[in-house]
Amino acid sequence: MALAGTRKRVRLAGLLSPITILLTVFFIAPLSILLVYAFLEPGLYGGVVWNFYDQNFGRILGWADGYYEEFDPVYFSIFGRSFRLAITTVLISLLLCYPAALWVTSLSERWRSFFLFLITLPFFASLVVRLFAWVLILKPTGWINETLISIGMIVKPFDMLYTEGAVVLGMVYVFIPFMFLPLYASLEKLDRSLLEASGDLGAGRFKTFMRVTLPLSVPGMVGGSIIVFIPSLGNFIVPDLLGGAKVLMIGNLIEQQFLEARNWPFGSALAWMVMVAVLLFLLIYVTVVNRAEALQEQ
Amino acid sequence: MVTTIRWMIKTAIQAASGGILAVAMLGVASTAQAAGELNLYNWGDYINPELLKKFEAQYDVKVNLDTYGTNEEMLAKIQAGATGYDIVFPSVHMHDIMFKLGLLWESKINEHPDFKNIDPDFIRAQTDPQGSWCLPYAWGTVGIVYNKTIVPEITGWDDFFAIPDQYGGKITMLDDLREVLGVGLIMNGHSVNSRDRAEIEQARDYILERKDKISAFTYDVIPLVQSGDIAASHWYVGAMYTVFEDPERLAYVVPKEGATMYQEDMCVLKSAPNKENAKLFLEFYLQPENPVLNVEQQMNGTPNVVAREMLPEKFKSHPGMNPSDEVMSKLQIFEDLGQDLRLYDRAWTQVRTQ
Repeated sequence: MALAGTRKRVRLAGLLSPITILLTVFFIAPLSILLVYAFLEPGLYGGVVWNFYDQNFGRILGWADGYYEEFDPVYFSIFGRSFRLAITTVLISLLLCYPAALWVTSLSERWRSFFLFLITLPFFASLVVRLFAWVLILKPTGWINETLISIGMIVKPFDMLYTEGAVVLGMVYVFIPFMFLPLYASLEKLDRSLLEASGDLGAGRFKTFMRVTLPLSVPGMVGGSIIVFIPSLGNFIVPDLLGGAKVLMIGNLIEQQFLEARNWPFGSALAWMVMVAVLLFLLIYVTVVNRAEALQEQ
Repeated sequence: MVTTIRWMIKTAIQAASGGILAVAMLGVASTAQAAGELNLYNWGDYINPELLKKFEAQYDVKVNLDTYGTNEEMLAKIQAGATGYDIVFPSVHMHDIMFKLGLLWESKINEHPDFKNIDPDFIRAQTDPQGSWCLPYAWGTVGIVYNKTIVPEITGWDDFFAIPDQYGGKITMLDDLREVLGVGLIMNGHSVNSRDRAEIEQARDYILERKDKISAFTYDVIPLVQSGDIAASHWYVGAMYTVFEDPERLAYVVPKEGATMYQEDMCVLKSAPNKENAKLFLEFYLQPENPVLNVEQQMNGTPNVVAREMLPEKFKSHPGMNPSDEVMSKLQIFEDLGQDLRLYDRAWTQVRTQ
């Protein structure tokens, strides 16, 4: 008995150690370095000086950092804007993906595979190339503006490129597959007999959707939202390319600290703030999903 | 040209961190140290590949090239102990920093008879007043490239910022904190190396007052200027590459109110495994026909006075590529500011947020 238990444990350790080592080396270790750096003094030429320094986090909230700053919630407002844009991205992609996912689940097996393939198709081309294509579409002499002018709807080109709207559009475009796939997964495993039962009991299609389909797809909705929200919040390539660096998000600010301002500790502190925000959202996710599952079991 | 690559590297880093694109682009410097090798660590697209081929053929030395996107990136890598590189190409202020950090090797290139061809005005590093450590490599102006079909002619920053109201065209500036705030400093009559808080705030306000006129802060704009989507852009003299291709539509000007310039020096590292070949390369670059070969592809300037005379006439006669003494006297070059860089960082964040 004891021997078999030990064997099992050894086997388990063997199976789990590769992923444990991988996560420790490539995930936990860098995060720890980041956390330590967030409490150190910035080096004159990048890097860090090994002195305890407590002003990096305070600076984010607006407190003055010695001679160089005065009270100014500028970083706070960047966090605010990033949250606003990330949440807008989540809501728009949810609204776009839900009907599409619902429709795809109603198709035959072969067509479903085809549409799943279509959804993953953009990953075959480089992100930079795809975003630059949007620059060409949105620019004043791009085809949207040219078409609108030629059919006489507008006289002057409509300003689309280098706006907040362009940033949201770009992020929705990039992250749609991440919303679609979890939604599809949760809608597909939905028990059809529940829908029939609802119909048998006299509910109309709308009522069935509101009372059965929608509540049962909450985990998919929340899952997709989280997966879209996290990379949107820290995104900096879309604001750079489509926002013309005028729409500053946290990701851009962190990049600026490492590449231009030579302030690694402040960049680390900002990165940790993003992480804490993301963890908070994950907590909410787990709570909501648990509640939804409890509902399902009732 | 430097910055196009800088932008590409930045973008690649971004894409990789987005987890969308697997980027395996950072080449590793060759660690094999055979006798006939030379390892250059240069800005992306900042040297004519023909020049490297010529050196390889002439001296039977295998040249390896690795690239970086910013001075800081290069310094971080060298400081972290990257070995195997022989020559780096820091900007003047980074040349000073690397000297102070003891990372450079004294090449005594100034003892070579051809060193007299180097314009003494270009021996700029404060820590290297005789030019005995590094060789001035290349320089260029930072000005305005514009589309003549939208804006017939502009001469300076006042004209530039008036374009949106006057012609309805769009303008963009570089995505670089010191370049953008530098314009604000120049227009208020201050040094681009000011450490004065009030002056930097004045520069910030100058840009903020015009922010709704500025469409974007970006490097990647030359095709949009050519197509007329953007009327004019704050850009480097490297834009001349496209201007010469399309001279009917495009033009490049150094603003009359003053502008900035950049200069990089060629330095041999203390940790260089092939110091002899490195010095040979510096000497090779003193021969005027070699900077000429480089400039013809890079569209920037050379500190080599003999090489300057040998350049094609269209290069020599262009006021943006070969500015008059009067214009030259108004060009400013960035110095390292140490901790005071934070004043600029703060102002730049405010510009991009408000």
